[in-house]
Amino acid sequence: MCGLLAQITVSHYLVVGAVLFVTGVLCMATKRNALGVLMGIELLLNGANVNFVAFGSKLLRADALGLDGQLIPLFVIVLAAAEAAVALAIALNFYNNHTTVDVDKAEELKG
Amino acid sequence: MDTSLLPILLGIAVLLPLISFFVILAVGRWWRPVLGGYLATAAIMAAGLLSLTSLAIWLSHHPVGAAGHHAADQAGPYVGDYYVLGQFGALRITIGYYIDSLTIVMCCLITLIATCIHVYALGYMHEELHPVTDHEVTLPDGSPLRRPGRFSNFFQYMSLFCFSMLGLVLAGNVAMVFVFWELVGICSYFLIGFYVERKSASNAANKAFIVNRIGDFGMLVGMMALWGGMGTFAFGDADLNGNGSIERSERGLFSLVRPAAREHQLTTPEGLVLADAHEELQRWALAHPTATRGDFESYVAGELDDLRDGGPDGSGRRYGYWLLVLAGIGIFCGCVGKSAQFPLHVWLPDAMEGPTPVSALVHSATMVAAGVYLVGRFYPVFAPEVLLVIAVTGGITLFLAATIALTATDIKRVLAYSTVSQLGYMMLALGVGGWLAGMLHLVTHAFFKSLLFLCSGSVIHALHSNEMTVMGGLRKKMPITAATMLVGCLAITGLSIPFVIGLSGYYSKDMILEQAFSFARENPGLLGDGFFIVAAGGAAMTAFYMFRLWFLTFAGEPRDAQRYAHAHESPRVMYVPLIILAVFAAGVAWPAPFGWPSLQGLLEQARPAGTAVTAVSAHVPFVWPSEYIAHDAANYWSIVVPVTWLAFLMAVAGLLVAVAMYVTGQLSAREVSRQFAPLHRFLLHKWWFDELYDLLFVRPLYVVAGWCAAIDRRWIDGLIDHSARWTARLAAWSQWLGDHTLIDGFVDRLAAWTYRVGVSLRSLQTGSLRQYVLFLVIGVVAVFLISSFL
Amino acid sequence: MTIWAATDWYAFFFLLFALLACGFAAAVLFTSNIVRMAFYLTLSLGATAGLFFLAGAEFVGVMQLMIYVGGTLVLLVFGVMLTARAPFLSLRPRSGEWIVSLIAGGTLLFLLIASAFGVRNWRTASDSGPLPLAEAQTATAVGAGLTGVRVDRLNRDAAGHALSQLPHTDSGYLLPFVIVSVHLLVVLVGAAYLARAKVRRRSATESTASVEG
Repeated sequence: MCGLLAQITVSHYLVVGAVLFVTGVLCMATKRNALGVLMGIELLLNGANVNFVAFGSKLLRADALGLDGQLIPLFVIVLAAAEAAVALAIALNFYNNHTTVDVDKAEELKG
Repeated sequence: MDTSLLPILLGIAVLLPLISFFVILAVGRWWRPVLGGYLATAAIMAAGLLSLTSLAIWLSHHPVGAAGHHAADQAGPYVGDYYVLGQFGALRITIGYYIDSLTIVMCCLITLIATCIHVYALGYMHEELHPVTDHEVTLPDGSPLRRPGRFSNFFQYMSLFCFSMLGLVLAGNVAMVFVFWELVGICSYFLIGFYVERKSASNAANKAFIVNRIGDFGMLVGMMALWGGMGTFAFGDADLNGNGSIERSERGLFSLVRPAAREHQLTTPEGLVLADAHEELQRWALAHPTATRGDFESYVAGELDDLRDGGPDGSGRRYGYWLLVLAGIGIFCGCVGKSAQFPLHVWLPDAMEGPTPVSALVHSATMVAAGVYLVGRFYPVFAPEVLLVIAVTGGITLFLAATIALTATDIKRVLAYSTVSQLGYMMLALGVGGWLAGMLHLVTHAFFKSLLFLCSGSVIHALHSNEMTVMGGLRKKMPITAATMLVGCLAITGLSIPFVIGLSGYYSKDMILEQAFSFARENPGLLGDGFFIVAAGGAAMTAFYMFRLWFLTFAGEPRDAQRYAHAHESPRVMYVPLIILAVFAAGVAWPAPFGWPSLQGLLEQARPAGTAVTAVSAHVPFVWPSEYIAHDAANYWSIVVPVTWLAFLMAVAGLLVAVAMYVTGQLSAREVSRQFAPLHRFLLHKWWFDELYDLLFVRPLYVVAGWCAAIDRRWIDGLIDHSARWTARLAAWSQWLGDHTLIDGFVDRLAAWTYRVGVSLRSLQTGSLRQYVLFLVIGVVAVFLISSFL
Repeated sequence: MTIWAATDWYAFFFLLFALLACGFAAAVLFTSNIVRMAFYLTLSLGATAGLFFLAGAEFVGVMQLMIYVGGTLVLLVFGVMLTARAPFLSLRPRSGEWIVSLIAGGTLLFLLIASAFGVRNWRTASDSGPLPLAEAQTATAVGAGLTGVRVDRLNRDAAGHALSQLPHTDSGYLLPFVIVSVHLLVVLVGAAYLARAKVRRRSATESTASVEG
């Protein structure tokens, strides 16, 4: 293996988290389908979770965050589920009212 | 009953009409109007009963001698205060009373006549019970005025009028006199202007009020002079601290002017003397720089009599005397206005615009009587010079008004000028020293003049016209009115069976003539003889115009058949007062009828102390003979008999001329008036007085007012307009600069900028979810960069 | 055999899962078909769960699989199925937006990676070295932490034995746990309310439309 991967460290996890995060952001920024946006959010949260877990892992560093690094992702997961439920409800409602899921059609807030 | 009841009884009598006034004022509009009339009549009737009770109490304590002439001693007045309004140093302003027999006689007179007039008015004013169509007022659209009836308003004003006059009579000090005096004025204003929609009525009311103001100005001056000289408003002495003696500060006006210590001779009060002599006192004080206050006071006390009486021999200057004269003339000015004397007599005939009961009240017992009453009340204050002024004024008025009355054709105007003339008689009597004669004529005149007016009102009521040219022959249709009016004419003429019996006017007018004759005997010359000739001639003229009036109205044939056909005797409510008044007009002045106390004797009790003696002036060559002289048995043949015959003949002469002109037709009134056409026109235009005043006062006033208006418009308005214009210009400039440019500019620019920023930011607000995410990303990147590079 | 032995299996699996997660995430980003996006997302999240296992957070990894992959994504797939009508299957943004997004996202990615390697502590393993994988059993500790007992923070004496007393101020995540539970309940109720079919209102609008038609 190349030297970069000689020792897996927190930074490697952080890179994965960053990629997931940026991918999620870009999903949100580019997907016109409301559900696509939701998926972007999931990706984004996952990126964040990867970071938390990495910071909390005793396997990577002895002076890590510890258990907090695992408890917070748990909450994030649960909240993500809740958020997904509500967002899906909103999307379905939007679909019911506008017969579309194109977020570009939802521009009542345009100034 | 005790005399201490007198102030209470009379006080209630004064207040009753006031209560009636306020009740009608407060609740009158919810009542049926006729109730207001009943209330006012009941109030004045009750006041009359209280006055008669007072008279009975007075008579029981002060019996009157039978003959009347200086038979009884003067009965001292009852003086006191109901309520002290305030005390400012030595000046007490109180609601006080001054009750002597004159007060009581006046109260009885006023309430009695007012009661008759109220009852009469209940009938006379019945048209006012319903909405009235006033055909004398034409609205702009040509239709006659329609207005609601003002029955209760009329009685409301009448009540206030009676209250004012009663209060004036009862008043115990100058301040109260003035207040009630003005109240009388304002009431007459209301009542003369009762038909306020008629231009002539409102003009007449204004005229009466303004002319009275002119007189009242003089009255104020006189009152101020009296107060400045004596420091008190009260008429009589009052034992304020109750120690049983009268100190200097407790003296009233009358005893200060005629102190008992100087046998009630007219004495210039100390204050007036010192005020006039202040230069001499200053000179003394400068010459004695070391003198103490005590020295000064003892010097003043020593010099006072010399200063007052013009030195030991009486030849020097009498300090303060002219101030006393001024005060007297000032007071008399007020009386001239109120009693319609010569220069200010013009308002009274115009006052005929009021309803006839008002005329009757104004002309007999209230308004004009107030002036004569006040002269009688202030009689002790008047210096001989003032008396001369009064006599001259009265004489001129007497003659002037009598001549005008000769030609007037309006029945009420004849009576109005007759009133002015009779008031002139009273003033003349007072001016030549006949206090009792003047007061007696005041009372008798009040009765027969109210009777005459009510009779004329009855005629007017029947014919709906004031003009005697449309009357005639009414004695058949209106026998009671004709009879009572004949009684009134005989009374005012003074016809009698000489030395046996006559109607009331006979006694009072003869008394005036006797005093005038007595004065003329003492002061031969133009004035002395003039007074008597005028008085005697006036008697003839009185007889002529009064019987002319009666003949034109009641005798002969009807001149206007249509009006005559509709004429009718007045209802009972109107002719019963006529009969009552006729009885009084006939008998009020009888000396001791059936052994009753005579009016003369009663009034004699009120004669001011010190006025019954012969008075001499130091400045004018006249002697005012004592009134007793004319009635003295020693002078019976030299004064009483010739004067009585002369008066009788004069009256008969006047009567005969009237008969010849208007009954038998030997003299044609038309011929006479054509023969003396200029004179006739002169009299018909009332001596051109209204025109003269118009020329002398009104027009110059208009001119001056025009100038003032021009100055006002040209200069003052111009100044104000210019300053306003400049202010507006300055304001516009500062508005442009400060407001629009700076403040508004700043605010507007801020708002515009904010708006622009908002608009430009608005484009960022795309409403697109995805762009927001991008903005977030860019923001995060920016934060990263900024935080890492800064 | 040598390759087998020489292979750092930890790094290998990390690389595998990382590449899977990142690759499928990129696939999610770049595909325009919503159904495929859902599928790729499932794989990406599953790979992330593998990363969690590798990092010693096996409980979080299990939860990731159960809640995320098994729950949330099923929910999303249902949403996709409910709205998957032909016009919406592949909605494409404008290419200009793509470019702007990629520039912004690339910059962000660059910054994040730079900072990931910018901190020395993160870049290097600690001196004591990583713990062996076998010791990483955290399910019990996580459960205790959620109910308020921080097993990892027990006071220890010098010998390393846990003392009985807990620090007074540390009650763990009990309160957030309860709050989140209630929150979840409320959110589910709210979601049900929002997503319910508004039958009456729709029929009313349809009837007016038919009248107009």
